[in-house]
Amino acid sequence: MGAISIFRKIGQIILLVALQVLIFNKINLFGYVTPLLYIWVTVKIENSYSRSAILLFSFFTGLAIDMFTGTPGVNAAAITLLAFLQPYILKLFVLYDRRELMIPGADTMKRGPFIGYVSLCAIVHHLFYFILKSIPVADWSMLMSKVVFSAALTVLLIVVIEISFVKNSNKKGRR
Amino acid sequence: MRSLFDLIIKHSYVILFVVLETLSLVLLFGFNDPQKKAFMTSASGVSGSVLEVSSAISGFFAYGKENSELAAENARLQAELFMLRDSIADSRLPSTDNSILTARVIDNSIRKDDNYITLNRGTMDGIRQGMGVYDSKGVVGVIMLAAKHYSIVLPVINGKSSISCKIKGDNSFGFLEWSGGDASVAELRDLPYYATINVGDTVVTSGYSDIFPEGIDVGVVSNVQQLTSGYTLKVNVQLAADLSNLGWVYINTAQTDVELKELLNQIKQ
Repeated sequence: MGAISIFRKIGQIILLVALQVLIFNKINLFGYVTPLLYIWVTVKIENSYSRSAILLFSFFTGLAIDMFTGTPGVNAAAITLLAFLQPYILKLFVLYDRRELMIPGADTMKRGPFIGYVSLCAIVHHLFYFILKSIPVADWSMLMSKVVFSAALTVLLIVVIEISFVKNSNKKGRR
Repeated sequence: MRSLFDLIIKHSYVILFVVLETLSLVLLFGFNDPQKKAFMTSASGVSGSVLEVSSAISGFFAYGKENSELAAENARLQAELFMLRDSIADSRLPSTDNSILTARVIDNSIRKDDNYITLNRGTMDGIRQGMGVYDSKGVVGVIMLAAKHYSIVLPVINGKSSISCKIKGDNSFGFLEWSGGDASVAELRDLPYYATINVGDTVVTSGYSDIFPEGIDVGVVSNVQQLTSGYTLKVNVQLAADLSNLGWVYINTAQTDVELKELLNQIKQ
């Protein structure tokens, strides 16, 4: 991982924190469905990063969001867990012999596996996030519907953004 | 021994994970000190100033509407002022020392289970924990946390909020609470079942604590239901303040009457 790649990642993190805090946190479909798009930081991380680097990038992203939303620790704890599990989840969806430098995406791992990978990441993160947020948990069915619908919205947004970006980069490549 | 070190280095990310996760959970469960908590939340300097800019931008588009509301309120206050002048001239009423601050709402949530509002004033401006917050339409909430330049309000639409209220003209009182869902409707609890309450009655603050002065609008009764289990009524209140659209708010900084405080202490002893 070169210096340019690290600066690009930091820029990406600042953009995602701003988007999450200023836009996505204000979205509340049906009163409880909120997309947590900032997991993009961990989901779309180059597999050349060391596992410690993934953990640190994710932790500080979560911490930054906590500082803006008044929920100390919730986002940081949830995304750190995701960062720890991310390499294992990725392995489930990528063939073993594909170890070359890659960022998980619809172009590098085909659309189907990518959607599966993002969905599992989102469910792990959202489950932990909503449990931590509503401790002590009184209403499990409400909690599960929050997890499922919020995760679905997050996945939808990530996949839509991903696919439109991939198309753009392909067009550029052809020219 | 060497292989043990190798093992530790190879799996150092596990240690890092445990450290970061523990740190997060300490942040989540360990902050009981309001000062430290203020640093970590939207009341801290950095995030407070970012949110302030963001709210200034969105506020710009709402100025027109806000201006007309302020003008309307001005007119109402003028009328009240004249009326009060007349009554002071008539009788020798003791002047009340209700100092009121204004603050701008810089962050606001209404659709979560735990809603909070951030204001751009803090301890430097004289804001303390436990002061009442209301806007031109009605009660908004109570100051929960005051940092140096910013403060956080526990609004009436937070599950932890409980405000002493009464029915205007009837004097039976209860506590205004909220149990999630619609952000424009709260519940008035602990009203005795024999109280005569009708849909359309006005709910105002009781003034039994020094958080709010007596008689600030809270809302209008929209539904009355007798609970089968107990001897109390469940009353839904349509809130007067529009919590989804707050611009400027007032903060009641009036201090408790020293005499009243002494009296309460005597009772406690």
